[in-house]
Amino acid sequence: MDPAEIILLDGGMGTQLQAAGLPTGQLPELWNLTEPEKVTAVHRRYVEAGSRILYTNTFGVNGLKAARYGHSVSELVEAGVRCARAADRGEGIRVALDIGPLGQILEPLGTLRFEEAYALFREIVVAGRDAGADLIVIETMSDLYEVKAALLAAKENSSLPVWTTMTFEASGRSFVGTTVSAMGLTLSGLGADAIGFNCSLGPKELLPLVCELRRWTDLPLILKPNAGLPDPATGEYRLSAEAFAEELLPALREGVAYLGGCCGTTPEFIRVLRERLAVPGLRVDQAPISNEKPPRSDGVCSATGTAVFDGVRVIGERINPTGKKRFQQALREQDIDYIVARGIEQQDAGADILDVNVGLPGIDEAEMMKRTVKALQAVIDLPLQIDSSNPEAIEAGLRAVNGKAIVNSVNGKEESLRAILPLCRKYGAKVVGLCMDENGIPETWEARAAIAERILNAALAIGMPKEDVLIDCLTLTVSVQQEQAGETLRALRYVRETLGLRTVLGVSNISFGLPARENITVSFLTQALAAGLDLPIVNPNQPAVMDAIAAYRVLAGEDSDSEAYIRRFASREKPASTEKIAGSPAKASGISLTDCILRGLKGETARLTEEALETRGEMAVIDELLIPALDRVGMLYEKQEIFLPQLINAANAACGGFEVIRRRLAQSGSRSVSKGKILLATVYGDIHDIGKNIVRTVLENYGYTVIDLGRDVPAEVVVETAVREDIRLVGLSALMTTTVSSMADTIAALRRSGHDCRIMVGGAVLTPEYALEIGADYYAKDAKQSADIAREVLG
Amino acid sequence: MTEARLTGIDRNETLQYLGWLGSPIPEELAAEISRCENRILETARPRAVWRLFDLLPDGTLASTTFRPEGRDVPALLKDCSQVILMAVTLGGEAERLLLTSQARSMGDAVILDAAAGAAVENVCNNLCCDLEARFSPRFLTDRFSPGYGDFPFSQQRAFFDLLDITRRIGVSLTDSGLMLPQKSVTALLGIAYTPQEHRHRGCASCTLFAGCSFRKEGKHCGSC
Repeated sequence: MDPAEIILLDGGMGTQLQAAGLPTGQLPELWNLTEPEKVTAVHRRYVEAGSRILYTNTFGVNGLKAARYGHSVSELVEAGVRCARAADRGEGIRVALDIGPLGQILEPLGTLRFEEAYALFREIVVAGRDAGADLIVIETMSDLYEVKAALLAAKENSSLPVWTTMTFEASGRSFVGTTVSAMGLTLSGLGADAIGFNCSLGPKELLPLVCELRRWTDLPLILKPNAGLPDPATGEYRLSAEAFAEELLPALREGVAYLGGCCGTTPEFIRVLRERLAVPGLRVDQAPISNEKPPRSDGVCSATGTAVFDGVRVIGERINPTGKKRFQQALREQDIDYIVARGIEQQDAGADILDVNVGLPGIDEAEMMKRTVKALQAVIDLPLQIDSSNPEAIEAGLRAVNGKAIVNSVNGKEESLRAILPLCRKYGAKVVGLCMDENGIPETWEARAAIAERILNAALAIGMPKEDVLIDCLTLTVSVQQEQAGETLRALRYVRETLGLRTVLGVSNISFGLPARENITVSFLTQALAAGLDLPIVNPNQPAVMDAIAAYRVLAGEDSDSEAYIRRFASREKPASTEKIAGSPAKASGISLTDCILRGLKGETARLTEEALETRGEMAVIDELLIPALDRVGMLYEKQEIFLPQLINAANAACGGFEVIRRRLAQSGSRSVSKGKILLATVYGDIHDIGKNIVRTVLENYGYTVIDLGRDVPAEVVVETAVREDIRLVGLSALMTTTVSSMADTIAALRRSGHDCRIMVGGAVLTPEYALEIGADYYAKDAKQSADIAREVLG
Repeated sequence: MTEARLTGIDRNETLQYLGWLGSPIPEELAAEISRCENRILETARPRAVWRLFDLLPDGTLASTTFRPEGRDVPALLKDCSQVILMAVTLGGEAERLLLTSQARSMGDAVILDAAAGAAVENVCNNLCCDLEARFSPRFLTDRFSPGYGDFPFSQQRAFFDLLDITRRIGVSLTDSGLMLPQKSVTALLGIAYTPQEHRHRGCASCTLFAGCSFRKEGKHCGSC
């Protein structure tokens, strides 16, 4: 890259305005309306120093803060664009609409929903577009999900170029844990026009991150660092303009195309940068020399975890209702926790990517896909594969996903290609292409390879990168079509070697209908891996399957020094411990169900429940064994002979017993057992919900169905749900004095609705007296007491 | 050195947050608590930001419009000519661990939550020690947070504006005044030329912690 192609951006705005007289504490964007000439004067000084792109003074403007400003978003943005435009005196300055973080943390850590964030960003984008901005800059972001909301809002509501820069720490992660690889993969896929870093650190500290980012994107890079690190006592930044330029120039070798400054930088910094860039021959050693790009890496990611495609990566297949009655029941009852638990299980078993299929007749698949994706990524770091044939469900999943996903699947039918590929391109997802079309699955490998090629060409034609196409050559059941196993492997080898595409294959199907299926499955899997299979779709809970993959990785040289293999089997030497609490395996002889629950032994509780079910009915086991055991735990807790963690571990162990009963009832087609429905919510404005979650664990394990609305729940949602679900007991929690008033409002709203229900409340700052004063029926001082109340109200 | 440092977790503090009142702790539970404390120590990436301000005679921080309300803070700062505002967090990584652990095991989740509470105390204590050393031979007062005594919770916002907390250490403030990540602390402390009286450090540091009969009844002995 030629130095002439480097384009200079501007530097710090807030401190410049303060130097021009903006009082500390006043919102800088107000000056766009009240002191426009002063804002323009700052912009002008940047232009004179060499800036060719100006960021508007709109960083903090958004609908959440409109009340603090006393002006609408569009007024402030429109004025901001005007102020920047006025600084152009024929230099051909481009004006960038500056969009900063919303200031509220998004779900799952915070409570701002992705869709709300999108709407807030859309308002800013529309205002900037209408005011005539030349491009849109989304900057200073630390949450990839927030960037995605902003980027989608920008792309869907304007045709302007969109740049995004994020802030990172020297550790290579943002404040909320986003990695550089996830940033590169995700934002390139979503169609950003340039990406990079701003704020964060000084140029020297950011340089290694720039090198890392280069591995994950071909986009032009932006770098707008701070003037070094601030002095803690004064908050002032330490680098001089000269030192800043000195540290920044090496970044040019990494292909950075846009340079500027953030906190602590001034027009002087830009001027010095321009001088350094303009002197030909100066410091050639640091000038941009090489056009050679470092080797590109590829993969898929969540915001916090990347599955790098540099070897075999396992896609876990267990989030799928096909042939699983208990899973189908969970879907019908919207039991997201059950689904999430299947994800956690597979992560622990070594899956690298999770396939997500929630299609079932009679449910709203798109809505379910969105909820499931959000719930999974709240607790699991693995990238996701959205598995559906319904384009609406696929789009709902792709929109909700935080990271770069895979879509499973498209096939060679014209209709499928037309519906699915544009979604993958828009959201930057990889796609699994199935080697089948209108005529079904071809019997020869050549015909399957031809479909693969057709899918590849269709993807390339709409602008998808080649590496985003993955091919599934399809496994057929060997007991039915014996010759097809070989065809699949031949097709796979061709796709891998000749088309140069990565391959996906679900292998379990191969052994259907045969005895000792595992032999066939593992053998086929091994042959497929040898033929070049990259992404086997398997059940990672089957040790033989994962063992075969671990062995393959050693033989293929992927597992260097056999490290992972040795680790895997070192732990195998010891007896497998199924109990969470180590060192206390319950001996089969003698220990009672009550003791198991008391000691928190979940696996053993489940086993003893199975045993008890041989002689008693489900309800009898609940009423005669599980509940009395929990009562004994509760009694010990009240007498202070055990404390909170023991109470919860006991409830959790009982859960093992209840799960056995639920599974059995699902098999027999009966409805779940439930002693009644309870609604729980942490009230509006409050985000501390661990207490409510403890209550929920305990209530569920007393056999109640808990509808948990989560935290920060508006009163009207509580009322609406209570009425719709005909709830007779509502539990509300609030931790802070500031949110107890919101609890009172919720109670008042419930009473006003005329819905007949009892209300129990709990939380650190509440007292029994205060609970009654705000209209609650019960005060629950702890989880145990909430179970007593439930029994009184619901039986 | 005034970086954020997490150097250990006080077991008594973890137990206090768990509502422990002296019942026997089975070996396996003690091991579980140790495991949880270690996970917090491994996961947390503590961060801190602080800034020094001159204190004007009317109690306002110089070159700002921030004047702590109530009687408690002015009493704390009566000998002081400067004041430090500080903010500390265990970070988003630990916050995420607390969130994800609830999906895996509620039992671990409550212990992790308690251990994280004890950990953020440790970070605060370390920072205050480091500041004490930095400003020696002057003396620091105890730290005091919005929401303590009559120092209004609503003044939290000023800490965020003056320290640029969200940008510097990634903590945000909700409209109802709660901090995210939750394991975060803001506080102020004064700098004086005379030794400052320190309050009692709380039950967890008391030698009678395990068996105290006041504590079992939810009361204090009067020395705190």
